[in-house]
Amino acid sequence: MEIRPIISALLRNRTGAILVALQIAITLAVVTNALFIINQRLEKIGRPSGMDTDNILWVQSYGYRPDYNHRVTIDEDLALIRATPGVVAASAIRGIPLSGGGSSTSYKVSPEKSSPDVPGNYYEGDEQALDALGVKLVAGRRFSKDIIRYEDKPSSKMVPEIIVTRDMAKALFNTDEVVGKQVYDNLGQSATVVGVIDRMLGAWVDWDKLSQVVFHPLVESGPFVRYAVRAQPGRRDALIAELEKKLTESNPTRVISWVRPHDYYIERSYKPDRRMAVLLTVAIGLLVTMTTLGIVGLASFTVNARVKQIGTRRAVGARKVDILRYFMVENWILTTAGLAAGCILAYVLSYWLSTAYSLPMLKLSYLLIAVPCMWILGQLAVLVPARRGAAVAPAVATRTV
Amino acid sequence: MFGYHLRLGLKSLRRNPVLTALMIGAIGLGIGVCLTTLNVYSLVSGNPLAARDDVVYAVQMDGWDPNEGWDKDRPTLAPYELTFRDAQAVFESDIPDRKVIMRKGAFVLGSADEKSEAKPYIAVARLTTPDFFSMFAVPFKYGAGWDAEGERNAEPVIVLSEEANQKIFGGGNSVGKTVKLDDKEYKVLGVLAYWNPVPKFYDLNNGSLDDPEAVFIPYSRGELLEVVSAGNTNCWKPETIDSFREFLNSECVWIQSWVELRTPAKVEAFKSFLDGYVAEQKKLGRFPRPLNNKLSKVSEWLQLNQVVEKDNSVLLGISFMFLAVCLLNTVGLLLAKFSGKVAVVSLHRALGASRKLIFRQHLVEVSLIGVAGGLLGIGLGYLLLLALRQLYNSYEAVTRLDWSVGLMALGIALIAGILAGLYPTWRICRVEPAPYLKTQ
Repeated sequence: MEIRPIISALLRNRTGAILVALQIAITLAVVTNALFIINQRLEKIGRPSGMDTDNILWVQSYGYRPDYNHRVTIDEDLALIRATPGVVAASAIRGIPLSGGGSSTSYKVSPEKSSPDVPGNYYEGDEQALDALGVKLVAGRRFSKDIIRYEDKPSSKMVPEIIVTRDMAKALFNTDEVVGKQVYDNLGQSATVVGVIDRMLGAWVDWDKLSQVVFHPLVESGPFVRYAVRAQPGRRDALIAELEKKLTESNPTRVISWVRPHDYYIERSYKPDRRMAVLLTVAIGLLVTMTTLGIVGLASFTVNARVKQIGTRRAVGARKVDILRYFMVENWILTTAGLAAGCILAYVLSYWLSTAYSLPMLKLSYLLIAVPCMWILGQLAVLVPARRGAAVAPAVATRTV
Repeated sequence: MFGYHLRLGLKSLRRNPVLTALMIGAIGLGIGVCLTTLNVYSLVSGNPLAARDDVVYAVQMDGWDPNEGWDKDRPTLAPYELTFRDAQAVFESDIPDRKVIMRKGAFVLGSADEKSEAKPYIAVARLTTPDFFSMFAVPFKYGAGWDAEGERNAEPVIVLSEEANQKIFGGGNSVGKTVKLDDKEYKVLGVLAYWNPVPKFYDLNNGSLDDPEAVFIPYSRGELLEVVSAGNTNCWKPETIDSFREFLNSECVWIQSWVELRTPAKVEAFKSFLDGYVAEQKKLGRFPRPLNNKLSKVSEWLQLNQVVEKDNSVLLGISFMFLAVCLLNTVGLLLAKFSGKVAVVSLHRALGASRKLIFRQHLVEVSLIGVAGGLLGIGLGYLLLLALRQLYNSYEAVTRLDWSVGLMALGIALIAGILAGLYPTWRICRVEPAPYLKTQ
């Protein structure tokens, strides 16, 4: 092969080569790390919520007139909602999962103060809470209607029964066979676990204990109340308009602040992650384009500068394909040098990112995929100018001598 | 002479339009991207109260759980908010020049006029003591806030934001009119001019890009009407809370507190007041953690709250790496371009042009590219900011084009253009004319 002369030619005209190699190095480092972050964000956004979020809508009502009656309003509203065609289930639940707002508290497996605290994201709802959210019960039973506690004012009294997610069960007892076991709040009051949910995500998408969720059979005191309504597939949007109208007309002592699809909150919560993914994708696109242009630019320049040399080589017997190969190999050497530097740079960048985000380091597989892609990209970029070089006629060599 | 350089420069740039466009495009794109991220970064990290940074302080006391600190990753950090009782103690101190204790509450806001067409809506109110407006330099369009007496008597008075005034009264001077919060009437004392500090330094608990509240009412109304918090409430202590009164006496933190201390002596005095207060409370069995009171200037407060999301720093870093790639590209293109000019430069040199002259000539040319790239970058940056609106919840706040950042971008572009051009320019000055003239 003709590698030695190519290298010595490159070394003679170092600057341009170094510039392009540097571009390739930076591009590789940024692209691999950006892809790594994008992937993590997409995984986070795409993880299953455990709920039937596509078909859930939320209603917020706020009683403000002196004659507002919280309990009566809730009973009437739920009766109205549940009787509306297209509604699968409805429940009064204050917190909206995946909305960024909610409540958490700590639970214990023993009333002792020394017993470790297990944080749980709790939701208070009535007997239809599980069905309204569409979560899957895998053991035990739902709350029965008669144990739901309707509060007149906030209180610290523990509820008699709770339902937990599998992850919560494991965090508490290291097993998901927990039906019948006692759980304690931090005042030492106990509740019996009556059911286990397969999976459900709580309020805060950035919380690592997001899947530790607990249900309490309770409806909070007013004047705020929120209803989770699960619609039959395809009926949600029509129900939003219908319920807003019906509920507003049914009771003038309160206002319906809004009726919204659950998606509204999920989208809002994941917006920073989606934004990061989009912006990084744009950055990748821009970087790759810019570097490709750089490769094309440098190759065009070297072809132009070597027209006479190419002519001479052609005149003494080099075929077009030899010329083409010369430029391709030259580019390959350049790209490889850049990629070698890029691999180091990628890990430097990854180290910085991993301390900033407290995340694991870049996986090697990203480099193993990106490096061949960059090789191919480099070869494609150099193809056009190289072909122009190959087209130089041998006669050029003689013309200006 | 500069005019001559300029003319030659423009001529040279026109000779090779594709190359020129590529160079300007590369710098422009790099600058545009940097401008966008810098703009967002400077907005989210900016200090809206920079002018009063030396006198306004956020107050923290650490009465949190003895077993585990407020933030287990930052053991020296005290909770961002105070308990109701401790906030009261801050408010009762007469050391500060101004003092504010405050929190949020939600109400149905509507017109008191039955015939009004304005539909009642849920509005978040700030329940605050009266110094809020002067301490935070809140601009009034009409009227003013309430006074100490109004606060003491928990009077039903209100200050409307510009937006709330628009919604209820359709704008205009509504001082003296009445509005309804839930079923109670409030007299309008003032209407704010547009005010949307980013980040929302005075209460960062529900997000630094959160909008300011719709209306402002006396803090003492909250206790009188038992208004529950619409902000963050955090509790650690196992204690029975079965009434609003018990909640007020609990160890839950939910009140924001700020003081204005105009002299270092006052800062010291207020610090020792806080220390004394906590020591006294410790005797009563409260504040189980080591003494950890803190006063933070607004700038320190923003850092303490980690207002700048890591994503923003990462994007800023990446955009500067992109700018570096663009510049490397430009250097390469310039080298290519200037190498084509060797013959002309040799001729100039042979005809008596000094190296210095050639250097200046080419520096003018690359500066032109830098300036053009910078202008293009500002335009691109503006478009990118518009595109960003799709990606933010509170886009308006984050995507305002900050002109100082724009000017900075232009400066960076010029410097970048010159830096990129320096090496190629230097190379072309060093040309020995003889060999090139020979081949002509």
